[in-house]
Amino acid sequence: MIKTLIIDDEPLAAGIVQEYLRDFPQFEVMELCADGFQGMKAIQQHKPDLIFLDVQMPKITGFEMLELLDEPPAVIFTTAFDQYALKAFDAKALDYLLKPFSQARFRQAIERFLENQETGNREESADQELNQLAEKSNRLVVRVKNDIKIIPVQDVNFFEAEDDYVAIHTSVGKYLKKMTMKSLEESLDAGKFARVHRSFIINLNGITGIEPYERETYLLRLRGGEQIPVSKTGYARLRQVLGL
Amino acid sequence: MLFNAFSNPSTGKWIIPGAGVIWSLGCFLLLKYYGVEAEIAGVDSIVFALVFLGGVFVVDRVFGLFTPKGKNGWLLFAVPFFLSLIGTLAHGYGMAWLYRSADHYLEFLSFGFYLRWAILALAELLVALLALVVSKLERQEEIQQREAQMLQLSKDAELAQLRQQLQPHFLFNSLNSINALVGSQPQKAREMVLQLSEFLRGTIRKDSQSWISLKEELNYLKLYLEIERVRFGHRLVVDFEVEPSLEDSKIPQLLIQPLVENAIKHGLYGVTGAVKIDLKCRKEGNYLILEVSNPFDPESAAPEGTGFGLSSVGRRLYLLFGRKDLLNTESMSGVFRVELKIPQYQ
Repeated sequence: MIKTLIIDDEPLAAGIVQEYLRDFPQFEVMELCADGFQGMKAIQQHKPDLIFLDVQMPKITGFEMLELLDEPPAVIFTTAFDQYALKAFDAKALDYLLKPFSQARFRQAIERFLENQETGNREESADQELNQLAEKSNRLVVRVKNDIKIIPVQDVNFFEAEDDYVAIHTSVGKYLKKMTMKSLEESLDAGKFARVHRSFIINLNGITGIEPYERETYLLRLRGGEQIPVSKTGYARLRQVLGL
Repeated sequence: MLFNAFSNPSTGKWIIPGAGVIWSLGCFLLLKYYGVEAEIAGVDSIVFALVFLGGVFVVDRVFGLFTPKGKNGWLLFAVPFFLSLIGTLAHGYGMAWLYRSADHYLEFLSFGFYLRWAILALAELLVALLALVVSKLERQEEIQQREAQMLQLSKDAELAQLRQQLQPHFLFNSLNSINALVGSQPQKAREMVLQLSEFLRGTIRKDSQSWISLKEELNYLKLYLEIERVRFGHRLVVDFEVEPSLEDSKIPQLLIQPLVENAIKHGLYGVTGAVKIDLKCRKEGNYLILEVSNPFDPESAAPEGTGFGLSSVGRRLYLLFGRKDLLNTESMSGVFRVELKIPQYQ
């Protein structure tokens, strides 16, 4: 039995996936979820093999939901999104179905999934690619135990690398998210954030002062009182952004 | 050209001959005052006036078409300077030859040579400056006209485009809903096809500039909401609060629908559970006030790509009324409110 979840905020859209899926009795639909929050809980609960995922949904998008999963299941996107977004899907999803889609097209997607399952050829780097492809975003979605928190990027004071994770420091607290500094840096607005050190990206808005530290390195003071080390290249970058 | 300085060109035609007459009269009186014989004074002043007019003609031609800039600036002074020198010399030799026996006059002529030159040079310099100013004004007027034309053209195009900017997202999702309904509830599917067609027809209505009654626009809106309700089911509740007396008020087409679409997007995508959208309409002085409010989650920042509906409505209002204060938004305690003011003319 193949455990399946359908995550879509439109009941009819979820309905048609369910209807098409009746032709394949080996699939069992565990739950219909109307948004990413429900979806994430259901994924943790049922550990499905395959999810059908809409992109534009309440609260968090399908992409953001996937980012929160440690071991994402195979994903087939179902979306009305147009071409340019699809390029992004291409790499990370097993397949994508453009709404409205035909039964034949649906069958193709299912067959692709079954083939992949036989060969055990699951793209292991799926979640890394997901991060790299993250488009410029104005918010971050993080998981706090079993809850989801949405952080507007302007509320972030600074980011700090911690092994495989990035610590997101806001005035309210600190959150961990699994991603690389590189992909994070790329997704941020270069006019508002700067990578001042291998392990630090700071919000330019929060700078209150900068002073020399050791040879060719500096110390940056933030509004919250934190002190952030600035490397030589980081200082050059900072000067450029701030127009010093 | 100088005669273009007048708004009425037939008046402008007389400016140069008029200046010549005044110039010769002035010269004549001045010469008489200095005791020159009337006949000689008359010929002298007429010839000098012709010299002056010739200079004006040349200077006007030159500086009406050519504006000296930067390094060429000296031409503005050099042309009147040399032109007046040539003119004064020609006048002087001509008159001296014509009245070679009038000793008193000859003496007067050579005595006043530099004065004549200076006055003529000054007058021609002023004419040159005037010609420059006039040609600049002409060019500016031309540019303004062209700009106004272009603005009108782009305005029409933009209005048409903004009006027809159908969200493909909406269309494809609606088609997907129909696809789902065909199997389970064919009757409902047919209904939705008809609603969707009628909605699409509304967005491509031909006469984009005409205003329609509030009632018509609200009917159109209800059509749109019917479709959205099929898509989102029970989650979407919309409450209309419109004074019946306002139903005949005229408003520009398709201004409210993007606002409601925006409200649905923020409401439905920002909040889980049922969403209630309120639409209120009232009259305040000469304005029709439309208010759309929806719940939203202040904690979740807006996803990408939103706010387009609002900015497009703002842009349309600006194109229609030339004002930027007709669209206002506020958000407080979990409710987002958009207020739209439509001026009502009698």
